[in-house]
Amino acid sequence: MTAIEIRNLSKSFGAVRAVDDVSFTVEAGTVTGYLGPNGAGKTTTLRSLLGLVTPDSGEALVNGRRYASLDHPLNEVGAVLEATSFHPGRTARDHLRIMTTAAGLPASRPDEALEQVGLADAARKRVGGFSLGMRQRLALAGALLGQPKIFILDEPANGLDPAGIQWLRGFLRHLAHDLGAAVLVSSHVLAEVEQTVDNVVIIAKGRLVRQGSLAELTGNGGGAVRVKTKDDFAPALRAAGAEVEEVEPGVLRVKGLDAEEIGRLALDQRVLLTEVAQERSDLQSVFLELTGEGAPA
Amino acid sequence: MTNLIRAELQKLFTTRLWWAMALVMLALTTLGLAFLIAQAGAPAPNGQPALPALDDPAWLPLALSNANGNIFTMILGIVLMTGEYRYQTITGTFLTTPKRGRVIAAKLGAGVIIGAFFAVVSLLFTAVVAVTAVLIGGGTVDLTANRIPQLAVGVLATMILYALFGIGLGALVRNQVAALIGGVVWAFVIESILSSFPALQAVGKWLPGGAAQALMSIDFDTGLGESNLLPAWGGALVLIGYALLFAVIANLTTTRRDIT
Repeated sequence: MTAIEIRNLSKSFGAVRAVDDVSFTVEAGTVTGYLGPNGAGKTTTLRSLLGLVTPDSGEALVNGRRYASLDHPLNEVGAVLEATSFHPGRTARDHLRIMTTAAGLPASRPDEALEQVGLADAARKRVGGFSLGMRQRLALAGALLGQPKIFILDEPANGLDPAGIQWLRGFLRHLAHDLGAAVLVSSHVLAEVEQTVDNVVIIAKGRLVRQGSLAELTGNGGGAVRVKTKDDFAPALRAAGAEVEEVEPGVLRVKGLDAEEIGRLALDQRVLLTEVAQERSDLQSVFLELTGEGAPA
Repeated sequence: MTNLIRAELQKLFTTRLWWAMALVMLALTTLGLAFLIAQAGAPAPNGQPALPALDDPAWLPLALSNANGNIFTMILGIVLMTGEYRYQTITGTFLTTPKRGRVIAAKLGAGVIIGAFFAVVSLLFTAVVAVTAVLIGGGTVDLTANRIPQLAVGVLATMILYALFGIGLGALVRNQVAALIGGVVWAFVIESILSSFPALQAVGKWLPGGAAQALMSIDFDTGLGESNLLPAWGGALVLIGYALLFAVIANLTTTRRDIT
């Protein structure tokens, strides 16, 4: 059964069409990045999936059912939404104890989940004194309480320091690849998820613009190779059948020959190369292109 | 449902509000008792005693009615509901219990327990102080006489029902400050006017405050004429009616809204 299925989902807030006919699926054992600029409709999609927002049309299903119809939702789906939703006067452990009680889970779960996210030392501290990163970890602990097999995370890297982001990446991969969970994680910063995700769904202005595996989306940039040399190498490359573009003085962009062929040619011609690099069309430029955003600021 | 009610009680007892509220309630009760003790038997300007003396059997029921802290259980009820929106914990609550009507029902269940807890604390405290005062004042104590059992039950029921009233109001209004100000102003300013003057009691008896008075059967002669209140059971029904009405309206309107 498909873990997460979004089918022709649409939702408007007043005149704003936040999500427009979006469809995609997330399978068990994979991490899917749900990417798009701020305001693209990511949060609305995820909140529809979690029964917090009622879609105008279409369906958002977990394990083939609507979230609101689940009898034990915490055992099926772990969700991390915005990090502000804690009572500041309550301790981390009490926050989790309340969820545990309401869901009828074993009383040992709060401490185990806090241990898992590295918050055991702060268990009895009030959330009001927590950093944003600690709140994110606490939210993640809440998602882990029922030991679900589906995780839905909205911008979980927000507020994490570089070490925290590194930890989160490893943790999400562990959930999906070792424990077989389906993980759907949204982000507006591509670099945060690029090294974590197996699949990518890109949304802009409420519409789905691309979905596929990470490999499909990045490709290898049409096989261009960047060559740095102070010698006049372009004529020899052209003679060998390559398409050559001088990007800047001393830097050539070569198409039609691979790196090894270029190296051999340079050896034959006694040309000194200072750099030979396979050009990749990185996801960032694909992302910016697809979402219609300008160059990164 | 038991789990959900327990979770709602945990929500209240894991923050500091409840004991702050309990302390304020006991402080105000102490003030009221101090006044009643100090003025007991003191003559009014016309020479008649304004309040019964400490050894008068009528004094103890008066002191006991002072135990009513319904404003505090109403505030706790309002906060139990609106705190979820104020701190956005409603997101987590509805994620854990996506059937939203069950959340409201659990809060009403918890409201019964919270209201009863505060009522018992207030009644016990008042009883200890008041009985001591009567014994020191040379009176005798009979806790079964002078409608004392009825008064105690009235305080208990009123405080429980005001907690439910607060929860229903909070579910409907959602904005904590608006609900608190609205609730307090309505119940303790507008209503005290409507339910104090017999001429206005035709309206006032149908409002929560008038219903609470009926429940307590407080018909002391205020010098403003004969009271026009519902019977005690009628007052209880009116209060339950308000709580359920608010909860049902909330269930059909506010709690169905998108949580964004």
